[in-house]
Amino acid sequence: MKRLALISAGLMVMVGCGGPSDTVTLEEPDSPFIAFNIWLKVGSQDDPQGKEGLAALTASFLSDGSTTQDSYEQILEKLYPMAAGYGYNVDKEMTVFRGRIHRDNLQSYYELFRNALLSPAFKQEDFDRVKSQTMNYLERSRRFNRDEELSKELLFSMAYAATAYEHPEEGYVESVRSITLDDVRGFYDAYYTANNIVVGVGGGYPEGFAEQVRADFDGLPVGNVTQPPAVDPPMPDGFRVLIVEKQTDATAISLGFPVSLVRGDPDFLALTVANSWFGEHRNSFSHLYQVIREARGMNYGDYSYIEAYPLGFTTQVPPTNVARRSQLFEIWIRPISLTAPGNLHDRTLFATRAALRELKQLVDSGMPVDTVEATKQFLRNYTVNWGSTITRRLAYAIDDEFYDYPGDGYLSAIRPGLATLTADDVNAAISRHLQYDNMYIVFVTADAEAMKQKLLSGEPTPITYAGEKSAEHMAEDELIASFPIPVREENITIIGINDVFERR
Amino acid sequence: MRVLTMLILALVVAGSAAAQADGIFPFDYRLVELDNGFKAYLIRAGAPGQIAYVSIVRTGSRDEVEAGKSGFAHFFEHMMFRGTDKYPNYDLITSRIGASRNAFTGNDLTVYYLVASNEYLEQIVDLESDRFSSLNYDEPGFRTEAGAILGEYMQGALSPGRWLDERVRDLAYDRHTYGHTTIGYEADVRAMPEAYDYSLSFYRRFYRPENVVLVLAGDFEYEEAEQLIRQHYADWQPGYEAPNIPEEPRQPATRRQTVRYPGRTLPVLSINYKAPAWSASNKMAVATEVLGEVAFGSNSDIYRKLVIDEQRVQYLAAGFGLARDPALISINTMVVDPDDVPAVEREIQNAVNEAREALADQKMLDDTKSAMKYGFLMGLETAQNVAFAMIQPVINTGGIEAVNEYYRTLDSITAADIREAARTYLVDSAKTVVLMVQEGAE
Repeated sequence: MKRLALISAGLMVMVGCGGPSDTVTLEEPDSPFIAFNIWLKVGSQDDPQGKEGLAALTASFLSDGSTTQDSYEQILEKLYPMAAGYGYNVDKEMTVFRGRIHRDNLQSYYELFRNALLSPAFKQEDFDRVKSQTMNYLERSRRFNRDEELSKELLFSMAYAATAYEHPEEGYVESVRSITLDDVRGFYDAYYTANNIVVGVGGGYPEGFAEQVRADFDGLPVGNVTQPPAVDPPMPDGFRVLIVEKQTDATAISLGFPVSLVRGDPDFLALTVANSWFGEHRNSFSHLYQVIREARGMNYGDYSYIEAYPLGFTTQVPPTNVARRSQLFEIWIRPISLTAPGNLHDRTLFATRAALRELKQLVDSGMPVDTVEATKQFLRNYTVNWGSTITRRLAYAIDDEFYDYPGDGYLSAIRPGLATLTADDVNAAISRHLQYDNMYIVFVTADAEAMKQKLLSGEPTPITYAGEKSAEHMAEDELIASFPIPVREENITIIGINDVFERR
Repeated sequence: MRVLTMLILALVVAGSAAAQADGIFPFDYRLVELDNGFKAYLIRAGAPGQIAYVSIVRTGSRDEVEAGKSGFAHFFEHMMFRGTDKYPNYDLITSRIGASRNAFTGNDLTVYYLVASNEYLEQIVDLESDRFSSLNYDEPGFRTEAGAILGEYMQGALSPGRWLDERVRDLAYDRHTYGHTTIGYEADVRAMPEAYDYSLSFYRRFYRPENVVLVLAGDFEYEEAEQLIRQHYADWQPGYEAPNIPEEPRQPATRRQTVRYPGRTLPVLSINYKAPAWSASNKMAVATEVLGEVAFGSNSDIYRKLVIDEQRVQYLAAGFGLARDPALISINTMVVDPDDVPAVEREIQNAVNEAREALADQKMLDDTKSAMKYGFLMGLETAQNVAFAMIQPVINTGGIEAVNEYYRTLDSITAADIREAARTYLVDSAKTVVLMVQEGAE
């Protein structure tokens, strides 16, 4: 059991080790809260062909279903006075169930949480309810809620075509429609096994409690799960563009390409610094934000990523438990609309060109020493926010297990790692991992055919402003407006919104 | 779905708990009051080394009384990041500090926050007091920011939730400014670049010490924090001008409308009533919030029937949290079969009738009080969350003293009080029903 504890400075340290790390504990005796994080080594990559979405539907069913002890209604009734609940997250390679409770209610809460995972009742009516809610999401909400989130999912789907990462975690309309209760039961039997589970417990739990939790989960049968090989997507050959046709007044844009590094790799922190300067998530520190939003007021924000960051619009801190063995470099340009007179597609392409041009400058010129130092200073303080709650600290500790992260884990390694990082390290990492010649781009916009023709024409796409701009600003705009996006007609695909994620 | 889908995500009622012997609020605090009317609550709570610095402006879209100026409180929130003479580049300084900082605007509030290491307390007090008292931005910068606002407007304009919210407010209100959303009307958002002078008057009237409350939560020394606050905020000149917010006249009869959403959706039925203003001491106000949970919450009879047993709706959500002025309370539900909408509406009406006629089950009432108490306590984990939990009492009363009072009142609520609240507020004449259907799907 691996034991982590919080010392007064807020740092996590290992205080003891022994046995297989099938349990992660993060003891904070003074905390009135106890957090749970149960990690199953299974994800959407394990969905059978034609049943894409099965891992997610199984987790959803367990999280929102009856147990052999209690009906779903009874569970809700028992959770209600505690103001508590539990939930799940299914990503490409991970499934986690998370919960948090006030210490006053620990035992009664834990029983419900444990039963949900260990003794599901597999009731047809629970399955019907959960599946119906999922189908509604697939057929409607995913397509008609947030175009920007949809464009990101499509980017991943393009970049990981023909791999186990291709399909969205929630699956396709047709594949989920075909899933039955027997499929869910079979998936549960295969993957929810004692030796495929890491138990995480954190906060102010009593002596012996973590051992009790582990022993309970050891009551599951032992299984035989083999991890699939890591996916290894090829770099696109030049530019590949997907345009989704949708009646909308704004264009969602995502672009990116595979990178061959993950958390724990020698270049990871160096590229984190480069990426933070270039596009720190939802932060005006982001250079892309400065160029596209701050100086030009074109949209709400512009960011970049070297790790998957699903549902970025809902959070300012990185999502946890979305650990993957393959990652993309990704640029998120928030929806572009007619914020000044002109043509929507011109503005869309101008923003895209601005992002590509900045990427080229980063790759070609690297980062100067003072910029690297300023970014290190920013990250040194800013990353402290990433572990602000027991739930998040525990989730990071679980991710450390996934990545086999050495020492005291990723959060603890950031500050010392930054201290020794040099501009040369950062620039070497940029050279090794970033490029601008090969790119996947997704647009969700109206009149896709006109967008395609504009893109193919190579014509400049200048924009206008509501106010005066300096001569220097306008000169740079001219360079941006004609920055090349070298794409051939056969590499542009158009699909209608109602066909998005209908089937593989 | 990827969101951590909690069985019970959060109680709809915000700012809640049940009374304990000496009050529910578990932390010590110190109140600092200045002669100019500025108040700061200093709360020692949360993890070692961190502070949350939360400035709460008691102005929101509620204060947008002039025609053509909807959305302006939110716009102004953006301008507060545009620098001062002393610190022209706000972003540069906060990024050096590595602060997590942002802001948000609602009907009744505009809130600015920084979460940072406590070693930067002095710098943050200086920075924040400076921008609240001496903001300075030019017209070109103002016009550029207006573009970003329109971008923010457009990215969510067609999400079904916001689209419906706009229509419900439009139908339900005749005069009060709650009739428009916080982001504002599209035409007003498009006209924002021309409103530079108005923005200056907005700052002059509302960004005054009497209208702003600071909540500093985290790991710091009282003496040092108080001295810094006195030093940096004392010269801020008072001069708040309260807006003349039109009172909503009594609604004479039920209002009803069907609206056609230009995307794909199942029918969404939104049933709304006019509620009282938030209060920590008024039993009818607190009982109304309890009523929402008891009659329509995730543990209610109708929730079980429609969502779990019969699965006729995708969700049923009660929004019974009250606001600074009398606002809407709502029951929203997404109906699986479009032909079933009238029957679902009858089921909801039956639950309303039941709440008006019968006394709530005592266990249900006790469980609800417990849920509200733990909902509050479970939220007090980090310095930021502690400070955020103070937002509601501050916007409604100007201070945090109301927290303990609210939970004492809650503790005294009886089943008869809840029935009385239902009889008073869940009345047909004050009802607004909007049905959102998919365009062309009828």
